[in-house]
Amino acid sequence: MDYTALTEAMSSKSYEKIADICNDLLLQGAAEGVAYNEDWPYAIHLLGLIYVDDINSARFVWKNVPRVVKENRPEVGAAWKIGQRLWTRDYAGVYEAIREFYGSPEAQAFVDSFLEVYTKRMFQLLLSAYSTISIQDAALFLGMNEADATNYVLQHGWSVDPASAMFTVKKQAIITEQKLDPSKLQRLTEYVFHLEH
Amino acid sequence: MNLNMNSAESIVAQIQALSTTPRDISQLHSFLKQSDDLIRSESTRLAPSLAQLDPSIHSLGYLYILDACTSGPSAKEQANEHVRTIARFVKACSTEQIRLAPEKFVSICRRLKDQVMFLAAPIRGIAPMLTAIRKLQSSTEHLTTLHPDFLLLCLSAKCYKNGLSILEDDIYEVDQPRDLLLYGYYGGMICIGQKRFRKALELLHSVVTAPMTNMSAIAVEAYKKYILVSLIHLGQFNATVPKYASTVAQRNLKNFTQPYLELAVSYGTGKVTELETCIRQHREKFQNDNNFGLVRQVVSSIYKRNIQRLTQTYLTLSLEGIANSVQLSSPKEAEMHVLQMIQDGEIHATINQKDGMVRFLEDPEQYKSCAMIERIDSSIERMMKLSKKLTATDELMSCDPAYLSRVGKERAPRLDFDDYDPVPQKFSM
Repeated sequence: MDYTALTEAMSSKSYEKIADICNDLLLQGAAEGVAYNEDWPYAIHLLGLIYVDDINSARFVWKNVPRVVKENRPEVGAAWKIGQRLWTRDYAGVYEAIREFYGSPEAQAFVDSFLEVYTKRMFQLLLSAYSTISIQDAALFLGMNEADATNYVLQHGWSVDPASAMFTVKKQAIITEQKLDPSKLQRLTEYVFHLEH
Repeated sequence: MNLNMNSAESIVAQIQALSTTPRDISQLHSFLKQSDDLIRSESTRLAPSLAQLDPSIHSLGYLYILDACTSGPSAKEQANEHVRTIARFVKACSTEQIRLAPEKFVSICRRLKDQVMFLAAPIRGIAPMLTAIRKLQSSTEHLTTLHPDFLLLCLSAKCYKNGLSILEDDIYEVDQPRDLLLYGYYGGMICIGQKRFRKALELLHSVVTAPMTNMSAIAVEAYKKYILVSLIHLGQFNATVPKYASTVAQRNLKNFTQPYLELAVSYGTGKVTELETCIRQHREKFQNDNNFGLVRQVVSSIYKRNIQRLTQTYLTLSLEGIANSVQLSSPKEAEMHVLQMIQDGEIHATINQKDGMVRFLEDPEQYKSCAMIERIDSSIERMMKLSKKLTATDELMSCDPAYLSRVGKERAPRLDFDDYDPVPQKFSM
């Protein structure tokens, strides 16, 4: 089997492509009758899907992992543990699973990169969902200790009230592209004109 | 030309000689059709000669021989070999040539499906089957008889995501009614697995409302799932079967899906306890139907539904108040529910932990961004295409003699003066 595409994507850290590459390789190989079973890089495949937030597919891949692999290759189980916590929306548990993960250096780098993505994702969630939040909870959601979490959110303009141990969230103005292409407006006008006559 | 119909060698020779120009190929096609029986009876002698043929050049001949060689029961070792040969052929074969004998092509693809299922390795069939569909269909709007087989393989191999690729195409052309029913049913299951409930509803709905003269078991199972997905996704279920559904469906669906309809009624009360009681009562039925997982999702959706209902009444509400009114055990649990719903874009709200309050907000979308204009524009374009299609179908039908003779009999004598009145009566005063 030709793993070049996969190794290239891994070494160039194009992690968002991993899931699709794995899927293609798996299906093309299977059509030729390659029996992967034990040597398929399940951990990388799972991490690839987790990275692009496709937990549904990750769950199905996990269900297909043969028992021997589950027993003999702990990094596969460790990778799924991250997915499982995402699946059950155990927001703080995800960090725990990430910290507990151990595997090959390249898998480790993959997980580290996901940690960054996930922290950002969580910060965006807090930003959109809370107006005030306790320091303790924010630290859990961001997977940091309270001092680090305080530093992190203060950098983003939040303020802290030491008396109640609460952050006040500073909403970011969402910048959306408002500039319209005149030809688009022209088209819409024509539609409306057409409908009215 | 001297066609010696009696030997395996001559068949191979003919295939090799007549596989280049379209004229040759059509000659070869009629030769193969005539020799079909011979090819079948000589299949064991012909099998080794496949090696002398190139599947990409001699596709039509290869197809005839391959079909003959792989028919009949086979042992595991042989099935393995057949799967590999068919998969390679599907990948390499020429689209124009195999379309000359679609029934043969479908037959070997079906065999591929049966063999991979027999080998308990459905994943092996997925890539070849997708290629086969793309080669066989005249356009992406064409539903081939292989569509359901492909989706079944995706389901069996737990490769749901791969099934989505063909479900995104809009279908306008169907060969066999049964294909559409199975396509909608399996497709619905795939979308459920990927939590694409809107698309799942659309597919299941097309099964339930498809024209049919006898009640189909596929439609009954689809209706059960339709009820559950409708509760999960829309938070309600409308028990009237649409008028455009077949008469048999309108009359009989309800009799086959009683427990599900009861579930929908208890969901409608908004009370978790009533829903749980109803589920306990029919638990076995749901489990036997393999729908219990969906039923569990119905239960978790009722909390969401109740929270959503609160947003219509209140501007702000305490977390404790939410927990009480939707029957959750603690304010923290209510907070987590609200948070998840915000994450999924199901409500617009902000949580204030300091005061323990939730403020419900309006949808921030102002419908003036570029992306939104783009979306509106593409929707209009789709609608216009659809409308053109509808007009074309309508015209086609109004020219159909069978249709005209039937409608003519019913309607013709009743034309009177009013029908020619250019001004509708109610506006003429």
